[in-house]
Amino acid sequence: MSEDFTLQELQTVIAAREIKNGDMVLIGTGLPLLAARLAQMTHAPDMVSIYESGAIDTKPKILPLSISETCLIPGAAMVGGLLEALGLVHAGDLDIGFLGGAQIDMYGNLNSHVIGDYHNPTVRFAGSGGANDIASGCQRTIIIMPHTKRRFVKKVDFITTPGYLTGRDSRDRLGFPGKGPALVVSNLGVMRFEPESKEMYVESLHPGASIDQIKENTDWDIKIADQLKESTLPTVEEIRILRHELDPDRLFLREK
Amino acid sequence: MTAKEAVSRFIQDGQTVTVGGFWHAISYALTHEIIRQGKKHLTICAAGFNEQADQMIGAGCVDRVVTSYLWLEVFGPTYAFRRAMEKGIPHKIEIEDYSNFSMTMRFMAGALGIPYIPLNSLKGSDMMNYSAWMGDNKVKLVEDPFGSGVQHALVPALKPDVGYLHAQRADEEGNVQLWGTLGDSPWSVRACKKIIVSVEEIVSREDIGKDPNRTVIPAYKVAAVVKEPYGAHPKGTQGYYREDREFLFDYVKRTKTEEGWKEFMDEWVYGVKDRTEYIEKFIAKYGYKKHLDLKAESMQSGSVNYGY
Repeated sequence: MSEDFTLQELQTVIAAREIKNGDMVLIGTGLPLLAARLAQMTHAPDMVSIYESGAIDTKPKILPLSISETCLIPGAAMVGGLLEALGLVHAGDLDIGFLGGAQIDMYGNLNSHVIGDYHNPTVRFAGSGGANDIASGCQRTIIIMPHTKRRFVKKVDFITTPGYLTGRDSRDRLGFPGKGPALVVSNLGVMRFEPESKEMYVESLHPGASIDQIKENTDWDIKIADQLKESTLPTVEEIRILRHELDPDRLFLREK
Repeated sequence: MTAKEAVSRFIQDGQTVTVGGFWHAISYALTHEIIRQGKKHLTICAAGFNEQADQMIGAGCVDRVVTSYLWLEVFGPTYAFRRAMEKGIPHKIEIEDYSNFSMTMRFMAGALGIPYIPLNSLKGSDMMNYSAWMGDNKVKLVEDPFGSGVQHALVPALKPDVGYLHAQRADEEGNVQLWGTLGDSPWSVRACKKIIVSVEEIVSREDIGKDPNRTVIPAYKVAAVVKEPYGAHPKGTQGYYREDREFLFDYVKRTKTEEGWKEFMDEWVYGVKDRTEYIEKFIAKYGYKKHLDLKAESMQSGSVNYGY
């Protein structure tokens, strides 16, 4: 195990380990891209990356800073548009999608539209982009987010992206191809969702983080697993790949 | 035709306009011309918008936006858009929020003459419960009439008056060839009644005919073809030049304040009369080497045999 790693690198490694060999993965730039590339270079060589812009099974020689950059095209297996990529998502063909947002609630619903009133927002964000489609269509989703009280809220101001809605079978009843969020990786710990209630709970704490810290930074009384673990640490090889092969210029892994 | 003439003749105040491209294939040449000509009361439509919308909104050209996304990804916020939404600067705008796929489906329905398309996207989200101006006609939840028991979100066709995009090449008739990521174009422009396009090169009809699978828009829909090399800068055009990442980071930094945004616009939009002057200014400011550094490497596709 590596003793030298940042929290961003830990989050990336945890997300990468969630990808199984052969998975079809909808990715964006940033940590999800690094997680996918890391998975492909270690335990999941047969996984396929898809960008919602239309690039399928990409092999870029430089790190793309946008999901639709020109460097994604040469070497890709297939290039189309939103129809081709998100069509596959809508059909339920993708195993994993990555999500983020300004707010998340206890059922994994995400907000990337507004803080405040929808018609008169205090803050207006980007909107859904492909997030809503990814949450509806991908079999499982992985959410990577900073852990603060302003983000982990009791109720999001606007549901952009459906998680488990109001819990229990409220999501199942709507008939999505995708089953919902599987994992939330923050800078404090790893959260999953209870199988019955669909409520978020803390599965593991990152080294240096405490239950108190998690509770202080969550705006609801978040459940803690009976068998709370410590998050599995990255290996020396995983860190080496991230630092020396995937992001040597530290475009995404900016933490020291 | 020049960009000035094409925009003057084919884009009118009050129209619904598709702005083609998805980070790639966006015509900033035509966008800046729309702004310079002071077009007003536009409803602009695209699955994903970046600073082309930010600039049109800040300039007061836009009343309404139909979209899934308006931001600059990891580069940062579109501040003029935020000022309009949060503070009503320069005036209030309305935005009808969809998702990337549901926007693409709205355009596809429009292009195909289908009145609506049923989807799984949007269900369970607040996009079903909130509307800016479309009200009940934004999206409807309807049970599958073929008896599966599943409810789907029905999105209505979107058929804008005019659409524009940037592409690598077209012939003079208007057969447009585009490669690289297509985003929601060509559906978003095919759904329009009229299309104008800016291209890196105008080629012959014979050249088009050698690779007809590459054509994304057939000529009968295209009202104007404008030759505008570097028409997509600061974004890229596959095979010609890549994105200017520094320019984009700089845009975000400069436009955080209203004054900064106005300075940027005076420098790059209002302070140049056309795209040629824009490029000359770019070279004068950043140097010829920087201009050349953006040029694409040669990665030829090889050719395929269309013989019979």
